[in-house]
This record gives sequence, C-alpha cells and structure tokens, in this order.
Amino acid sequence: MKKLTILAKGINLKRDYSSDIGYRLKGVPKTMSHFYESILIDTVDGFQCKTYSNEHPDGYVIVKPKYIPKEALDGDGLKFRFLFEKCMIRFNLFAEKDKLKTYLKQFRIKFPEYIYDCKNTKNWFFAVPLDKIKIVHDARKGLKELLSVPKKDLDEYLTLVIQLVELLAKSGVKADNLGITHSTLMGNYTYGKSDIDIIIYGKGNGWKILDYLKTARHEKLHWKTDSEWAAYYKEHKTSESSHFTEQEYVKHMRRKRYEGMFSGTVFTLFTVEEPGERWFEWHDADYKPLGTVTITGTVTDHYNSHVRPGYYGIKNGKIVDMHGEKVQIDKSLQIDRIVNFSIPFSQQALRGEEITACGLLELVTTNKGKKYYRVVVGYFDAYVSERREKEFIKARV
Amino acid sequence: MHLFESSMVTTVDGLHCQVYGNEHPKGRILVKPKYIPADKISSDALPYRFISGRKMNRLNLWVNKEKLGEYLANFAKAYPYYIYKIPFYKKSPLFFAIPKSKVDKIYSPRDGVRELMSIPVKDLDEHLKKIVEFVHFLMQSGLQLADFGITYSTLMGHYSPNMSDINIVIYGKEKFWSLMHFLEASRHKDLRWKTYEEWEEFYKKRNRFMIHKKEIYIKNMYRKKSEGFFKNTLFVIFAVENEDEAWFKWGAESYRTLGSAKFSGTVTDHRDSIVRPGCYILADAKFVDGEESCKDCEISKVVFYTRDLCMIAYPGEKVEVKGVVEEVTPKFGKRYYRVVIGYFDSYMSDRRDSEYLRVMEDRNGIQ
Repeated sequence: MKKLTILAKGINLKRDYSSDIGYRLKGVPKTMSHFYESILIDTVDGFQCKTYSNEHPDGYVIVKPKYIPKEALDGDGLKFRFLFEKCMIRFNLFAEKDKLKTYLKQFRIKFPEYIYDCKNTKNWFFAVPLDKIKIVHDARKGLKELLSVPKKDLDEYLTLVIQLVELLAKSGVKADNLGITHSTLMGNYTYGKSDIDIIIYGKGNGWKILDYLKTARHEKLHWKTDSEWAAYYKEHKTSESSHFTEQEYVKHMRRKRYEGMFSGTVFTLFTVEEPGERWFEWHDADYKPLGTVTITGTVTDHYNSHVRPGYYGIKNGKIVDMHGEKVQIDKSLQIDRIVNFSIPFSQQALRGEEITACGLLELVTTNKGKKYYRVVVGYFDAYVSERREKEFIKARV
Repeated sequence: MHLFESSMVTTVDGLHCQVYGNEHPKGRILVKPKYIPADKISSDALPYRFISGRKMNRLNLWVNKEKLGEYLANFAKAYPYYIYKIPFYKKSPLFFAIPKSKVDKIYSPRDGVRELMSIPVKDLDEHLKKIVEFVHFLMQSGLQLADFGITYSTLMGHYSPNMSDINIVIYGKEKFWSLMHFLEASRHKDLRWKTYEEWEEFYKKRNRFMIHKKEIYIKNMYRKKSEGFFKNTLFVIFAVENEDEAWFKWGAESYRTLGSAKFSGTVTDHRDSIVRPGCYILADAKFVDGEESCKDCEISKVVFYTRDLCMIAYPGEKVEVKGVVEEVTPKFGKRYYRVVIGYFDSYMSDRRDSEYLRVMEDRNGIQ
C-alpha cells in the first residue's frame, strides 16, 4: 500500500514554487520510483543531466549527463559549449568510442556516485543520487509560464513554439499535458538552429498526437519528403543507420511523426509515462545478460514503443545470429520483448510487422517466478563496447 | 564589502539582478532587479520575457511613471527583504539589495570570459566567436585576459545571436582609461563607431532631447569609445572598480538630503565618471535655481547612478547639473555638498525628466 501511495504521487518531493526554475529539493526522499523522462536536472556538482527513463531505482534518477563542467574532466574528443557562465562539455554517446571510453573511465573515478551499478540487470547506468539534485526543471510548468507571456513580448522562436503547441492541442490533448524541455525551456536556444523540444505527458496522449499528425495540415508543418530523408541518410551516417539501406531508412522514417519541421525549425516530441502507466518497475525482476544476438519475430504490441525505455512485444522470436558467441538458451522459454533505450529506434515497427533486432539478450526472471527472454538495445554500456556498431531494430517494411 | 558592479546575481526566488555598485553593505549586495518572476507580482506596463523557464517582467525604469510606482510598491510588499534603506542617510533613498541568504548564484563576468576564451573556436556559435575575436583585439591594448569580463545575456546564456549586444567589463579604472586611449587610435576592419545619424537616433530616445543641446551632445558622444560596433554588433564597455580604487568607501560618509536644485560649474576631474555610481569633481559651482535650502551649498561633486552620464564631460568643461542636493559628512575630513542624479526613486517622480548633467561649453568655450 505504501508503494502505491508513492506511485500515485510521483516522486515524493516537497515543491517550492517560489524558488528559481522548476522546483528545488527541500527534503530528499529515501526511495523513489517514477520520475518523468526527458526532464532536465541540475546537480550540486554543476552537471546538467537529462532523465533517461520514467522508472528509477530506489534513491536514484536514471539520467544521461548532458553538460559537464570542463574543469571536472578532460573532454578530449567531445564538444564544448559556453553555458551558464561556464565552459561545459557536451556529453555525447556517439563521440569516438576510444575517447568516450577514456572520458567514462575518468568519470567513474572522479564521480563514482553518479554511476549506478544495478544488481537486477548486472549493468551500469548514469544516475543522479537524490541528494545530488539541485534543481529539477519542470517542463510542464515551463510551458504553462510560456503560454502566459503576451505574444507581443515573444521572440520568433518562442512564437513558433506556441503555434506548434496550439497545433498539437488540436489533437484533443490539452496543453496541460504538454511541456517544453532542453534549450526551449532553459532559454539558451538559437532561433534557426535550436530544435523545439516538446514533452507529451501520458502514453495515450502521445499516440493521440502522433496519430493526429498523420493527417494534420498546417502551413508551417512540414515532414521530410522521401528525397529529404534520403539526403539526410547520406549526410548523417551513424552506427544506427549503417544497418539500413537508403531505401529501408526512408521507409522507416517517413511514417514516424515524432520529429518534423515547423516553419523550418526541427521539432521533436518526447512522450513520457504518467506514474500509473509504467510498463515495468525497476526492482520487479532479475535480468541475466547472456550475450549479443540478432533475433527476428513478429510484433504483437507496439504501444510502448514511443517512450524511453520502450518495448515491442513479439511472438515467434528466434535467434538468427549469435555474433560468434555461444549463447546458451532454454528453448522452452519465449523471447517476449525487444526493449529500446535509443530514440532513433522508437516507433520503428508496428503490430503485425516482422521485426529484426540486435542487442543484448537477457533472461528475465520476475519476482513472481515467470521467465522469458528479452533483447535490449541501447544500454549505456553498448556505446563503449562492440555492440555499438551492431545494435539496431528494423521492421520489414 | 566589495563586489564588482555589472556582475549578475540570481536569487533563490528566481530574480535576475545586476550588481549596481562596487561598494556594498556587509552581508548584502546592492542591485538593480533586471528580470522579476511574474508569479507573485506582474505589470503589463513592463515588458515580459520568458527566461529560465519562467515568465518574467523586465524592470524598465522608463515605462509610465505611475505604473512603475505601482509596480515597485507591489514589489516592496512581495519582496520586502530586497528593499534596503541605507543607514548612512538621514532619510535613505530607495535601494535594492539582496541579503546573502537569498543569493542563489553570482555570475562573474571575469570567470565567464575566461571560460569562454578556453573553448575551441570550432565549438562556438557566431555570437560567441565574435566576442572572442573582439576580446583578442582589445587585448592588443596591453590588457590581460584577467582584466576583462562579459556580462548580461552572454554571461547568463540567454543571448540571441544577431540581436544581443556584446557587453564587456573592464576590471580597473586605469585599465579602462588605457583601453579608451587604445581605441581612440585603433583601426580594425570590423570596428566602427556610431555615425552622426545613429547618435541622433540615440539622442531622441528617453528624455535626452529635452536636456541636451543636440550638436554638443552628439559631439560629446562621438568621443566616447566605450560604445561602438564590432562586426556590426553593438558593443558596450563598462568599467568596474577594483577594491583599492573605489572612489568612496562604504560607511565612510553620511548624507542628508537638502532638496532639489540646479547648479552650474566646471569639471575638474572626470576619472571616476566611468563607473557606477560615478562622479565628477566640480569647481566654481553656482546655484542657478531650485529649492532655497540648497542656495548656499558649495557643490563640489556630482554623483550619478545612470550609465548615460558616464564620460559625458571632460575636465575644463562647463556643465549644468540638476538633481538631489545632499550634505555629506565624512567620518574624517571636511563636510561638503554634492548633487546626485538617478536614485531609483527619481524614476517614479517628475525628477526622472528633470534631473540631468549637460555640457554647456566645451574646453574651447564653444557653446
């Protein structure tokens, strides 16, 4: 019963709305479970982090560091930004692998408290201990504030943000269920360069907007055409896109609606889970990593594929490649899920479609004793291992 | 207590403030609130901005006087702890000061520029590249990087490339003057000064046209090298005082207001006219008009809080000045009289348009 109370309230933080941006911690809860994904957190050590899950282990918030003061670590190979009077290193998981490894090594030594070694998954995550949180930048409250500013006092960028929100609200999702994040919220955007980053609260609301956008018309709304996606594919070669032919890439991207253009500015929609709709609880199962595999299967459920982490429910899961490893599996158990932490693989496949994925195979044993397999794409450790070049999720489209 | 003017301070309740002097009372920082969250108090007479995820009012002292008065009265109720009465005044004018307990963060212009200059140029946007290049150019004057700072939106990170100004801080009055001499003689393909027409446009704003003779004003502004364009972006250079060169020390004097009056006189020293608060030393001051209580005051100093009056007059120039007349009693030394222009409360009264300092005659006696 106690756990349920915590879930219903979200995180058990006392909010002080008279404080600076967002809310400031007054008392630190001992445990926590839900905390919205894609929210910015400043830490007492001067990091700015982005939450990387809606579900979190006790005492921590799973994050991806976004900016780290240059003075803290040697950032060779990473980009620098001048933010909040400081030279910050923009932490990028796609930086050159060896340099990223060196950076992470330093990070682990200097800031071990920001690494959460998870007993359940036997893997590690970047995480902010609750007592290291300085400010949480509230995306929902930020949009509410923005919407109350007279239009005459808004610059071109913020005017666009409001027009986009007005368009999204035509889907039937109220503006109360939307938020702004990243530079849009922090005010360090550059018109013409910065994306507009919108948060949609609630998975149902997320799908409602994504479905609405399939047919929505607005003079400023533009989706990349096939030839634009093809050009993008050629210009932005990544480890993810390397698994796709140009044609496959275009076919996957053309039907997604989480990223578009509004009056020439890129916008991205991040759907986050409400406390009552999380698809897993952090400590509800044990996960045994077995090795890198490529599997195929048929998607039975894509409802959770627009959140981070998200998943595709599958049937007829079959291992087609063990990448040179001898992965022992119990053939009586099913491969039930493909779990995804990587945004480019969100909404990649729909129910009924054949899916192929490469990632870390895990044997899942729930606290109730149920066993099944899942494949996870995009764990942090993948970016500094051989899996970085191997992992993907692809539908037969 | 010393804290550099033009630094920025954010408070625990979300205000963004600009440090408004180099000398401060113990445990407090004198400031001008720049952005104030609109949740507790707000005014449609003031512009709004969306900064740091909040709707804020920008405190513009040049909006409608009555509405400004109403807003500041509400401010005093909502944020009574930021209103400060200076004990050395018989009756203190309005000051804003942040108690130490309310400070969230102090943004240092000097640290900011040092951090900025350490970033590889490839990782900078156009605005920041321009600043780095400008600082490199200014360093040709012989000043060191530690003598520079950057402030306002560039420091706080909410600048708009192609729209925001470049605001440079120079630490130390001597350094600032030497930089001004360097700029007088400098040539750079990307450096230009305001044209007659641009100064004319500037002259027409606020109440300048009501006070100054146009030709003298524009001529005087031409000689200021603290404001110009670099790569077509407006730059403004501010001086701040090092602790050992402050022209007054906190608590070393007490003040008594005598009234409001106009005086004429000749500037004998303008070395401290580059800072805020700044001052001019005056000789041969003569009462022109105003309250009787001020008639026999021998004015020897003009103090101002508005940066508009920085470097406006040079030694040997005859000026006319109107403001609040104060009797000054130093702890050590002789009593004297000064005229003060630009206390915050002047913006809520008729004094806003009637206080001024203008050059009547230049050193050659040209009117």
